[in-house]
This record gives sequence, C-alpha cells and structure tokens, in this order.
Amino acid sequence: MSLNKLRGKNNEVKLALAGNPNSGKTTMFNELTGSRQHVGNWPGVTVEKKTGRASYQNYSLEVIDLPGTYSLGAYSEDEVVARDFLTTGDYDVVLNIINSANLDRNLYFTVQLLEMGVDLIAVLNMADEAEKKGIKIDKQKLGQLLGTPVVETVASKGRGIDNLFAETVQHRDLSEAALKIDYGSEVEALISEVVSMLKKFDFTGQINQRWAAVKLIEHDPEAVKLLEREVGASKAKKIKSLIAERELKAEDDFDNIIIDRKYEFINKVIAESVQRPAEDQELENVSDKIDTIVTNKYLGIPIFMTVMWAIFKFTFTVGEPLIGYIETFFEAAGGWIGSLLLGAGASPLITSFITDGIIGGVGSVLVFIPNIFLLFLAIGVLEDSGYMSRAAYVMDKVMSKLGLHGKSFIPMIVGFGCNVPGVMATRTLDSKRDRIISILINPLMSCSARLPVYVVFAGALFSNHASTVVFSLYALGIVMAVIMAGVFNKILFKGERSHFVMELPPYRFPTLKGVFIHMWEKVGAFLKKAGTIIFSVVVLIWVLANLPLGVEYASAESLIGQFGQLIAPIFEPLGFGSWQAASSLVFGILAKEVVVGTLGVVYAAGEGGLRAALTANFSPLAAYSFLTMVLLYTPCIATLGAIKSETQSWKWPLITASYLFVLAWVVAFIVYQGGMLLGLGV
Amino acid sequence: MPLAMLRKGETACIKEIIGGRTAKGKLTDLGFVSGKKVKIHSSSGGPLIVALGDNRVALGHGLAHKVMVDTEGCES
Ligand SMILES: Nc1nc2c(ncn2[C@@H]2O[C@H](COP(=O)(O)OP(=O)(O)O)[C@@H](O)[C@H]2O)c(=O)[nH]1
Ligand SMILES: [Mg+2]
Repeated sequence: MSLNKLRGKNNEVKLALAGNPNSGKTTMFNELTGSRQHVGNWPGVTVEKKTGRASYQNYSLEVIDLPGTYSLGAYSEDEVVARDFLTTGDYDVVLNIINSANLDRNLYFTVQLLEMGVDLIAVLNMADEAEKKGIKIDKQKLGQLLGTPVVETVASKGRGIDNLFAETVQHRDLSEAALKIDYGSEVEALISEVVSMLKKFDFTGQINQRWAAVKLIEHDPEAVKLLEREVGASKAKKIKSLIAERELKAEDDFDNIIIDRKYEFINKVIAESVQRPAEDQELENVSDKIDTIVTNKYLGIPIFMTVMWAIFKFTFTVGEPLIGYIETFFEAAGGWIGSLLLGAGASPLITSFITDGIIGGVGSVLVFIPNIFLLFLAIGVLEDSGYMSRAAYVMDKVMSKLGLHGKSFIPMIVGFGCNVPGVMATRTLDSKRDRIISILINPLMSCSARLPVYVVFAGALFSNHASTVVFSLYALGIVMAVIMAGVFNKILFKGERSHFVMELPPYRFPTLKGVFIHMWEKVGAFLKKAGTIIFSVVVLIWVLANLPLGVEYASAESLIGQFGQLIAPIFEPLGFGSWQAASSLVFGILAKEVVVGTLGVVYAAGEGGLRAALTANFSPLAAYSFLTMVLLYTPCIATLGAIKSETQSWKWPLITASYLFVLAWVVAFIVYQGGMLLGLGV
Repeated sequence: MPLAMLRKGETACIKEIIGGRTAKGKLTDLGFVSGKKVKIHSSSGGPLIVALGDNRVALGHGLAHKVMVDTEGCES
C-alpha cells in the first residue's frame, strides 16, 4: 500500500515517526528536517502532529512527527492523534523510533505495528545508552526475526542519520508481509474462523484481516466500531457472539493469552538477538540514587519548591542588571531621537509617535528580553534533565487531595512558560474530567508574558524586596490553582477517577542544543509578538491618546482617557481606579505584555522611563493589588482560543474568562482593603 | 497478593493483572505482564515507584492493587 506507487512519483517519500514517548522521535525529527521542535526528557512533550521537509540525494521527504504512544490502545487525546494517523496508512514508511536501552517495552509497540501490516524501519535509537549498559544488539538477527530493516542511531548526537536516510529511501517501497504471532491452537482456531467470516461478509477496507480478527477477539472498542460500520450491526453481532461463545468454553481469558504470547514472542526475539550483562537491572543506577532523595516522602516537596524558587531567583538576579542596561539604552535613545527629530524639523506628532508610542510602548516590553531568555533557559534545563516527571510524582500527594493526580501537574509546570502549550499539554490526561479541571486552572500558572508586568512594578516600588514580591505572586497563583481545583472537583462533576501511571525516564544531562532550541524558540516568539500584536495595540493606543484632534496627548479627555474612565470605577475599590490602569488591563487581554506597553504609552514613558511614572502614580499597596489582578484576571485571547479548540466548545473559555475575572477582583479587593485596614496604605 | 502490599526494596514476580479493560491495557502497555520481575523502589504512602526491567514507573495505588504478584520470585 505504498503511496509512491499510488502517486506515480518515485522521488517523494512520506515518513512518519512513531514510537514510545521519550524515545527520541522529536530529536530525530529535528535532525532529519533541521526544524526546531520542542524536545524534553519527559513523556508527553509532543501532543500534536508536526510536519517538516527534508531532502536526501534527489529525494524529497515529508517527515511527520507524532505524539508518543505505548500501544495502539490510545487512552488519551495525544495517543489518539498517533493511532489515527498510523491506522489510516497515509505514509510510505514508518520510522519506528525505539529506545535501545529499553527494548522489551518498546518492541511491544513495534510488534503491534508489524501485526497490523505497517511497513516500518526499526530505528534503534539511544544506542549510546544501550552501550553504556553493556547491551549488545545483533541488528541483523533482530531484523530477521521481526522481518524488517533495522538501523542504529543516536539522535541527540546526530549519529547514524545519514545511514537512516539511505535506508529510508532504499526501503521507500517497502512492502512487508504482516507479522504473524502464534497465539496457540485455541485462539488460532478462533482467528481463522473470524477471518473467514470477515471474508464472507466482505470486510475488506485497508485493514489486515488477521489483525482485525485479533483485535476483535481482544474486544478492542475501535475494532468493534469499525466492524459495525463496515458490515452492519447484524453481521457484526454474529462475529461477536461467536467470540463470546468460544470464550465461555475456554479455560483462560483470550485477552490474557494474546498479551502473554506477544510478550513471549518479544522475549524470544530478545533472547536470540540481544546480549546483556546478567542481572544488571537489579543494580541501583545513578538515576535511582538521585530518585531516593528527590522523591523522598519528606524532602520531595521542599526540594521541588527550592527548585522553583531557584529558577525565579536566577531569572531575576541575573536579569536585573541586563534590564538596567537595556532600559538606559531605550531612555537615552528616546531622548536622543526625540531631539534629533525635532531638530530636523519633524512635526511634534511624529516625534511623539516615535518616542511615546514606539519607544515608550514597545520598548518598555522589549526591555524584558533578558528575563524571558533566562526563564526559558532554566525551564529548558529542567525539562531536559528528567526532573519534570519527578515533580509530577511528588505533587501527586497534593493533587490527589483535589481529585486529580500527579500527571495533571505537568501541564501546570508547562503553563509557567505559556498557558497555550499548558492547555494543550492536558491532552495527555486520559479522563475528560481531569482534563477540564486542569484546563480551567492552567491560566492561574503565571506565564512568562506576565513577568514583565511584575518586574517593572517590583523594580519601581519594591526595589529591596523585588524578587520576594514576584515570587509571592507565582506562589499565590499556585495556591489559587489548588483552591480552584478543589472547588471544581466538588461542584463540577463527579467523574470516573483516572488511573495514575507514569514513566520516570532516566536523568539525562541537558543537551546544549535541546536547551538552546527551546530558548531561541521562545525568545523568537516573544520578539515576534512584540513586532506584531504588541506593536499594533501600542499604535492603536497611541492613536487613541491623540484623539479627538487637538486634545492634549494622553490626557483624561483623549479617547483612551475617556474609555479608561468609563471602566475605572470597577477597579476603584481595589486601589487602582485610574483610567491608565483600567485601560491597560482591558487591552492586556489581547496579550499580557500589553499591560506594560499601554502603561508605557499613556504615561509617555519614552522620556522619563516607566518606572519613574509608576512610582509617582501607585502606592506600594495599590501596586501589589494591581499585580494580583494581573496575575489572576481573564487570560489572554490566545489562551482562550486554545481552550476553545481543546474543548470544542465556547462554554469552557467563557467560564474561564468570567470566573477568573471575579476571582481576581475578589482577591485584589481583599489585598487592598485588608492592607488599608492594617495601615499599609501609605 | 497485590503489588501495593509490598514494601520498599522487595522484589516479586507478576502473576496476573486483574481489573477492567483500560486499567489492564495501560498496565500491559508499560510492561506489567505475568512472569515479569518487579522491584519496589519507593513506597511512602503516595504512588509506588517500581523497577520493571529497565523501566522506572510511578504507579498509583488503585492500579498497584490490580497487579497480583508472588513474592517467591520468578522461576527462570
Ligand atoms: N542519550 C541519548 N539521548 C537521546 C537520544 N535521542 C534523544 N535523546 C534524549 O531523549 C529525550 C527525549 O527526546 P524527545 O525527542 O523529546 O523524545 P520523544 O518524546 O520521542 O519526541 C531528550 O532529553 C533527548 O535529548 C539518543 O540517541 N541518546
Ligand atoms: Mg516528541
């Protein structure tokens, strides 16, 4: 069923990368296509299908990266993406990426693909790790036993890629016979009966009939659905009752027999093709030693909190002087360009556009590049090390009190970078209920876009305690997320409780490339955002600050001033009832950095600097109240869009937007009015 | 007895996976099948950490009760 022949072109190859989570598929994808997709040492980094292109000799290759999956069972959304793609057969050849250091489990998936009749090349990746463990794989023998080409690679070091290209184009028309595992006389007899019934009922499709029979005997719900669709309910019923009848007579569960035989087959293949030092699996390795400390009952949570604290401390202390330089640069540039323009006879309007609009608005946001850079550097190291799944394990204790489990914590950590991937990462959760709750609380994880707001206010008003103030906001976000998860757990739905099972990959030394890819990608996205949405909104606000014609720039009578005044009363009880604060919050829904951009424009920060303007206009208490508002209120439109597309309904984004606004208002109210009562309002 | 009953450092041989279709499916996917040796690396009230050959897997208590083991160990 090679696509090539169908297309009639012989120099185009379409490949799909499939395999267990964390086996190196995305690393391989990046190597093959030169792309920069996100790689991380934890299961569930990739949750959607990604396409890229490569060329080798005179061949043009289309490469598809899929989410990882342990089987074709597909228990969660991300696995469904992979399964659906693999079963439709829209490719020439599958590169089955296998972790060589973990063969038996990886081959369980390989065997399923081979039984289905997928044309694949077995890619023994992580050959370096296998080697370190003293595992020796006889590639030729393995290939012979599986009936498929075998290639060895180390994707993270680019080893074996050329050879993989060569094998891929050589086998582009691969047409392997489906693998047959002997399931024992009883099951085999039933398989042949089911197959002959399938034949009789004209069940053709693209599907291998023996494989369909096995799946039906296993009561695979997808297979049953497919059967009913293809041959109609009444004929499907005949097959189902045949299977049920045989099952009654049998001594052992057919399910069990099939699974056991599959693993027996794999064990036999491994016994014949793999050599490894006896019993070394018993030894505690370095990863295990680290785990005894990191996952310790008493130390686990304190260690996790220390790690988070260290990340933020790093982001601020290293970032602060750098921000200072950039700020000085923009201020100097603002003044210099301003006088230059005026000197050259430019109209005051144009001068104001450049200094107040562009430099004051976009510049105030760009100042924070060092923070963004450092934050993602730290997150990149964290992700690549393998600590993510440990954090999830440790937090299971807290999460299970909320009716969730540890795995739900991973989207929350991802949310610290940005809530859009955070929301998407919930795809790995297999209960619908867990997913919805995790989506609803994800915006409470303070994303990198809110960071500039905190930093500029903290620097202006809390100079001595700046990092404590910022850290307290992150902590407040987590606490609110925990409380809200508890609330939703109570009121929203009583759902099925999901099972917690999660692989803990070995710790790996973060690769420079992986971390840098992550960092550049994020800094690039930040710059792009600054050049597009932030720029446009800032220009819009500058225009509104100059209208109606003849009005004093950014005065209460300007359009933006009037608009802000309309809304400001809502925020009056929270301590920041100025029209400037109100309008920055409204426009901040477009993108959270815009809060800073707007303040920069309306306080004409191009000249004096935004920090000075904030010191003059906010009391510390009002500023803190404002920051809690920014932390908690309605998420940006990109996040709301992600919630819409992940839940396939308008209901959830609307609920999220409104509950968060109310929550933010209430908390800011408590902060401000409470602070006033305590006499902190000076 | 169920895997959940074992203590840290103990090893056992998996005899059977009980429970519903999803639970069983997820466990077999990760390599919990009869005849395999498991070792408990951590059991501290929360989920277990078990070593299963080269794998390290965190396993909630619900699922750990569905893995029936024999502490005598595996034959081979
Ligand atoms: N030692 C080693 N590590 C690798 C290799 N390939 C990938 N990795 C690492 O394995 C982890 C998972 O990689 P990733 O590509 O995200 O896996 P995916 O989930 O299959 O897409 C990352 O930390 C990679 O740096 C390899 O060949 N050898
Ligand atoms: Mg991936």
